[in-house]
Amino acid sequence: MNFQWTSFLYAIIAFGILYYLLNKYAFGPLFGIMEKRRQLILQQMESAEQNRKELEKHLEEQKQVLQEARKEAYEMIEQAKRTGARQAEEIVQAAREEASRLREEALRDIENEKNKALAALKAQVGGLSVLIASKIIEKQIDEKSHQELIDHYLQEVGNRS
Amino acid sequence: MHEFPVVHIGGIGFDLSSIIAITVSFVITLVLALLAVRNLSVDNPSKLQNFMEWVVEFVHNTIASTMPLEKAKRYISLGMTLIMFIFISNLLGLPFGIVTEVSESHHGPVTVAGLEIASADEVEKAHEDGKHLAYAWWKSPTADLSVTAGLASIVFVLVHYLGLTQNTRHYLKHYFKPYPIFFPINILETLTKPLTLALRLFANIFAGEVLISTILLLDVFGIPLLGIWQGFSIFVGAIQAFLFTILTMVYISQATVHEEGH
Repeated sequence: MNFQWTSFLYAIIAFGILYYLLNKYAFGPLFGIMEKRRQLILQQMESAEQNRKELEKHLEEQKQVLQEARKEAYEMIEQAKRTGARQAEEIVQAAREEASRLREEALRDIENEKNKALAALKAQVGGLSVLIASKIIEKQIDEKSHQELIDHYLQEVGNRS
Repeated sequence: MHEFPVVHIGGIGFDLSSIIAITVSFVITLVLALLAVRNLSVDNPSKLQNFMEWVVEFVHNTIASTMPLEKAKRYISLGMTLIMFIFISNLLGLPFGIVTEVSESHHGPVTVAGLEIASADEVEKAHEDGKHLAYAWWKSPTADLSVTAGLASIVFVLVHYLGLTQNTRHYLKHYFKPYPIFFPINILETLTKPLTLALRLFANIFAGEVLISTILLLDVFGIPLLGIWQGFSIFVGAIQAFLFTILTMVYISQATVHEEGH
């Protein structure tokens, strides 16, 4: 086993060249890729964090919108209730008014008819009385005493009726 | 024990097995790393990419445990190259061996592609001594002290260069801590660091390979033992690669990090 200077030098030179080549063509790109991956992961983590924040914001917004919608719906229902109640009242009122008007009209009609009937009755009863009186009594009475007599009877009839 | 084929060109020795082993480790490491980063993807990494990223994380944690994070990034590449190259180197000698034997009847020099490995005299001498000449062509590069010394010297030079340029005052002062009289001890410590780094790696892997070739002498009966030892050697190889890398990082952090408390 001798110490060979050529082997010694050859080892140094070979290692130097190997280091240069590996550093340039193998480890350089490898480190670059590893660094790139580190950056990628960092970036992805950042974007994930950003997405999470955005989601939270959206959720908050949606909650708010939901709250507003609920409030609006409640208001609408309330308003509808109020409108309905008012309308019902109006309808009832109108019906009541109509009913009272109809009743009054009917009463008036009844009164009219009654009056008319009374007048007609008065006239017929008057004629009939005259006829009956002139036939039964067959006595000449002047028109005036006739009238007084008729009125007197009619008054009695009116009071009884 | 097998010899290693050493050729001499212009009086300079070349250990062919080491050179082959380093080249193979170099190519495997490079191909593996390039394959791993071939289809890089941010969100859908392949299995190999996942493994590489695990190694990066592992080395990163190793470094981050000994030095501040922002400083560490620059040394991850170095750490990864070290751990991959050494781990692959450690495993290289495990699966098989290539041994050429020189027969007893062979006379004259042993040559490879016209280059002399052993001279005629050496061959004759070996024959006379009754020695069996065999050359191992395949081994872990880290089973060669020259190679581990090369790696350790890279770390040594780097550590002291970084210490001098980035942390000059603190670096120079630490040789005289805690008292100036400790200077020789500190120098000794500085010198032993790369020495232990190189020797630890070399010794572990070399011992493993020696044991493998010893077990091979047992023939068929050695197979279960060989399996166990090879499995253990994978573990040792991983541990040594990890140790070499983490020690390098510790030395770098010691040299570059200014400690406020001192």
